[in-house]
Amino acid sequence: MTRLRRWGGLLLALLRELADENAYRRHLESHGRVHSGGEWRRFSEERLRAKYARAKCC
Amino acid sequence: MKVLHRAFWVAVAAAAAICLGGIAIYRGEHINSIWLVLAAACSYATGYRFYAKFIAARVMALNDKRATPAERLRNGHDFEPTNKWILFGHHFAAIAGPGPLVGPVLAAQFGYLPGTLWIIIGAVLGGAVQDFVILFASMRRDGKSLGQMAREEIGKTGGLIALVTVLLIMIILLAVVALVVVNALRGSPWGTFTIAATMPIALFMGLYLRYLRPGKVLECSAMGFLLVMGAIFAGRSVAASPAMAPLFTLGAMTLAIAIIVYGFLASALPVWLLLAPRDYLSTFVKLGVILMLGVGILFVRPELQLPALTRFTDGTGPIFAGKIFPFCFITIACGAISGFHALISSGTTPKMIAREWHAFPVGYGSMLLESFVAIMAMIAACVLQPGVYFAVNSPAGIVGASPAAAAATISSWGFPVTAPQMAALARDVGEQTLFNRTGGAPSLALGMAHIFARSGGGRAMVGFWYHFAIMFEALFILTIIDAGTRVGRFMLQDLLGHAAPALGRTSWMPGVIATSAAIVGAWGYFLVQGVRDPLGGINTLWPLFGISNQLLAAIALCVGTTVLLKMHGARYMGITCAPLAWLVVVTFAASWQKIFSPVPAIGFLAQADKLEAALRAHAAANPAATRILIFNARLDAAICGLLLLLVAAVLLDSLRVWIGILRGTREARAHESPFILSQLRVEEL
Repeated sequence: MTRLRRWGGLLLALLRELADENAYRRHLESHGRVHSGGEWRRFSEERLRAKYARAKCC
Repeated sequence: MKVLHRAFWVAVAAAAAICLGGIAIYRGEHINSIWLVLAAACSYATGYRFYAKFIAARVMALNDKRATPAERLRNGHDFEPTNKWILFGHHFAAIAGPGPLVGPVLAAQFGYLPGTLWIIIGAVLGGAVQDFVILFASMRRDGKSLGQMAREEIGKTGGLIALVTVLLIMIILLAVVALVVVNALRGSPWGTFTIAATMPIALFMGLYLRYLRPGKVLECSAMGFLLVMGAIFAGRSVAASPAMAPLFTLGAMTLAIAIIVYGFLASALPVWLLLAPRDYLSTFVKLGVILMLGVGILFVRPELQLPALTRFTDGTGPIFAGKIFPFCFITIACGAISGFHALISSGTTPKMIAREWHAFPVGYGSMLLESFVAIMAMIAACVLQPGVYFAVNSPAGIVGASPAAAAATISSWGFPVTAPQMAALARDVGEQTLFNRTGGAPSLALGMAHIFARSGGGRAMVGFWYHFAIMFEALFILTIIDAGTRVGRFMLQDLLGHAAPALGRTSWMPGVIATSAAIVGAWGYFLVQGVRDPLGGINTLWPLFGISNQLLAAIALCVGTTVLLKMHGARYMGITCAPLAWLVVVTFAASWQKIFSPVPAIGFLAQADKLEAALRAHAAANPAATRILIFNARLDAAICGLLLLLVAAVLLDSLRVWIGILRGTREARAHESPFILSQLRVEEL
């Protein structure tokens, strides 16, 4: 059961990483800020600008 | 315990040898797909446990005490130590594209055997090694890109050529994947409606994420997924409606123009509005469908209907012309080895590796999983009846435009199929026809629908699963198109910025519009060329894409060889040099044949000469269109030749460096960052 919960947690963490939710949490922590619509937009713009400057794989 | 451990690995290696030998030697009734799955899984396990571990421990000397760039340069954005399994999933999601799905489906025209063997052997000895070595090299160089490493380790020429080659590949890649979508949606109101519906769904997601529930990406993606599922169900009603169906029944040229306009608009729109939400959605759908397909194959264990080898090993195949060597290897491309992966392995991933040994599963293991996706695509194609497979994938220019003519031609090859059989199949999946649906996507969707329907839903659900598979393929191909156009625009702005600084500014709107139009115009030209091609376009564009991708892999392996040479002298350079030598032989042979083969179906110049002769003899039905075809054939020959010259220049430059190092006339200094002791705690991972 513990192992199942661990794998479930890992899967959720992967989904959050792919969804940039983990990166947003890290952004809030590292800048000492709290979540708000404006903060998300600021983070998202910077993140997406860097993300889509790189080629997507074929 | 040690004896048991050894016995286990001996059994795995023996199972790999037996399964590979079994599928290579067996010629009788149909074989079960589980043989391919076992051959692949056991070969991957053996390669991972012994070969990759040897490279990691002896050659790279990975050291968990050495701080990685993620730890040393940690900034909470790019550089962030990440759990190895999360990074594995992240890296795999980044490298998994349409290549390993489409390539094996097309290569199945030779039968399942050549493609399967190359996918397994190529990945274990070539593709995974390339990804692993480049990831390692970048990790030891503060996450530097392939271009930067080429410049530092080989010379300035290598870096510049890598940039130009990537730009050329992007243009051909975008054209060929757009052609795959065009051929999948041509004359298909159900498919076209579903894909058209993903645009407003993505816009809604973008607005939802920005203004209604900022930051809730998973929640928003789940809603988007449910809406897309609803669109697939609604698509059936649209296709059945006499009023709605004609609106979504589009010809190939109309679809091509729509995709070109879409590509231009999407690359100029703010990313948060359309590109990003659809990218999130397509990533989750992609991973989910790959998992579903794996489970489906294990559950259904379908028999392969295509033979091990077909008569088309002689080079007369209808899907693409050319013999097994070199064209099977060029066509499989990303399923075995992909140059593009070197860009990912020297992009985000090296900046997120927490410990050096994590590069082992992430770099080598992810490519093995990608190779397994290619095996699944091969299985999905080969579960179709051979007659059906060739009817779907063969262009009208070769088998005939009418169902009766196409069925007669394909049956005469020894693969029986009838027009009523194809009509019944088309009815089952809600399509008007399945003849001449070149590009690989429809036959892959048919195979996947066959497997999914047998796993759940039965025949009544075949139509849904077919369109689900088409949606899955088109969704992430469209994401590649708009993201690729945007990246191509940045690269072009970067190049042009040296001549005219204003053009290099990404905030200057006229520059953005001009460079976007230039990139869209470039891949759009090749897309239209593919649509106009009487042989279906895939025959021309897919080999060009395969050649360019494999040439990029050759550049990456040159960088890898230089790094290993500087670390150990000639001792271990065979690890990257052997796959490099093979790639050089394959790509140069394929390029030579594509340019100079006297067979018009293979050689671009012979094709142009044949058309010109027809024009001179007044035998061309449409002289204006024939002149365009002649120009296109010569243009393709020129592109192929240019790619060859660029890579030959990198090879010669690399050889010069290698000879210098081996003779001792050149300093063998690797540009690694200095050793710093890791302070990372276990709980941080």
